[in-house]
Amino acid sequence: MTPQVLMDGLVAGAMIGLGAIGITLTYSILRFSNFAHGEFLSWGAYLVLAVASGLGFLAGGPASPLGPFSFGWTLPVALVAGIALTAALALVVDALLFGPLRHRGSAVIILVMASFGAALTLRSLLEFIFTSKPMYFTSALQIARPLGGGLRATPDQLLALGLAAILVVAIHLLLTRTAIGRSMRAVSENRQLAGIAGIDVRMVIRTVWIFGAGLACVAGVMSGLLVQIRPQMGLDLLLPLFAAAILGGIGSVPGAMIAGLIVGLAEAMTVQLVGAEWRAAVAFVILVAILLLRPRGLFGRPE
Amino acid sequence: MTPVSDAAIVLATRALVSGYEPDLPIVRGVDLQVTKGEFLLLLGPNGAGKSTLVKTIAGLVPVHSGAILHDGADLTAMPPHLRVRHGLAFVPQTENVFTTMTIHENLLVAAQVLPRERRAGRIADLYAMFPDLARLKALRAGQLSGGQRQMLAVARALIVEPSVLILDEPSAGLAPKVVQDVFANLKAINAAGVTTVLVEQNVKAALAIADRAIVLVEGEVRLEGDARTLGDDAVVAELYLGSRHRPAEARR
Repeated sequence: MTPQVLMDGLVAGAMIGLGAIGITLTYSILRFSNFAHGEFLSWGAYLVLAVASGLGFLAGGPASPLGPFSFGWTLPVALVAGIALTAALALVVDALLFGPLRHRGSAVIILVMASFGAALTLRSLLEFIFTSKPMYFTSALQIARPLGGGLRATPDQLLALGLAAILVVAIHLLLTRTAIGRSMRAVSENRQLAGIAGIDVRMVIRTVWIFGAGLACVAGVMSGLLVQIRPQMGLDLLLPLFAAAILGGIGSVPGAMIAGLIVGLAEAMTVQLVGAEWRAAVAFVILVAILLLRPRGLFGRPE
Repeated sequence: MTPVSDAAIVLATRALVSGYEPDLPIVRGVDLQVTKGEFLLLLGPNGAGKSTLVKTIAGLVPVHSGAILHDGADLTAMPPHLRVRHGLAFVPQTENVFTTMTIHENLLVAAQVLPRERRAGRIADLYAMFPDLARLKALRAGQLSGGQRQMLAVARALIVEPSVLILDEPSAGLAPKVVQDVFANLKAINAAGVTTVLVEQNVKAALAIADRAIVLVEGEVRLEGDARTLGDDAVVAELYLGSRHRPAEARR
């Protein structure tokens, strides 16, 4: 096993961790597993691609790469717009589907099944609009640079890792140090008590969708930048995302990121030690093991 | 009941029917009037609908028909968080604090209703009122004793300086000495001008601190009167057993 496994695993794990934070937040507040979360990653990537392409068209051609990175100024600008658009998409899905079901007091299984329906619809819409042909944010090739200790990474990969670290710290601070974070924790623990403590529960639910979908958009763009953009990309990441959210402990943001890194490293090691065809099985094995051995995860609180 | 002017009524229900299921009313046509500064006690046997009534007033149980009025405004369709902002505070019997948060965080959550510049001052007021909470403020609420938890729940409700404080069996599960402390606190809060509505099974102790009491049976008001008079009434004990016996002099 080469040391490069570490870098490959960390980069993949950072993407998984960001997506898992969205899942852990929405699960802890809304109390159901949203299987459409992977589609927010895919939609985020495609929306950013569409906005970046539009900006490039308006600017009269593709923007030249920023410093050592493979992309130009259009991508970061499009990312900001894409986060807003993906958040808007999540709010629309909630308003049309999950909100009415919640209002009716539907059982959790109904919400879970509805999320499967939403996932299928959103994925099919992507294929309809963008086709299933893989797309890329950039056609520029990047050479991985040596970092010492036998590790190599491209500037894009290092940027992804840095961005993921900043976002985890930011979300963690937001949850623990701000009024909206305390409201989210309050609704997560006891929705009814939160209401009579003066918290607008519906506003908190909308905030959670915005954060979850925004992070999914960032994870989708990272995946698109480092690998490729496909309508199936969210579906392929769904199992690792849930494995990381459950391994980290539902409701724990640092837990989701650490577990994301563990899942990413485990996948990278499996690829090298066993074979690439077993990669997808890793998340499944981790998920089963954690559910059997420690269902509340590494950092989750006991029910 | 002595007629009171509308201006003196701070909380009222009009023919209130409510319950968790649409075809299964638990509260059946309750007319309630609470005057400013009053300490009202809600009594009744198990299953009488006392908790459902106060939860309905707090916005936690669906209203089938009728109305809830507070300070002249109709709160019937208002979500719970807006009722709090309107000055109606509720302390549930159980799960009344955020156990994963510290005492201070519990108060911070409740203080978010207030304008930013008033939050710290109001929390300091509550710490002055409940020094034990100030001493333990970094402790998670889940680690508190029953009495301390109840104290935090009341402090949390008082943060917004409510005009009406509603409590659902605050003495449940507490040791007799702690119950005395809780009731003494409630009496002091009421004496400070907060209209208080208390649901309680601890009848004797509660009648001693209340101004007026209402007895609910099967979701309806069966008796009401001065707390001291009702305390001497043998019928109250009988009604507690769910008896349908209603002497003429005790009827509304």
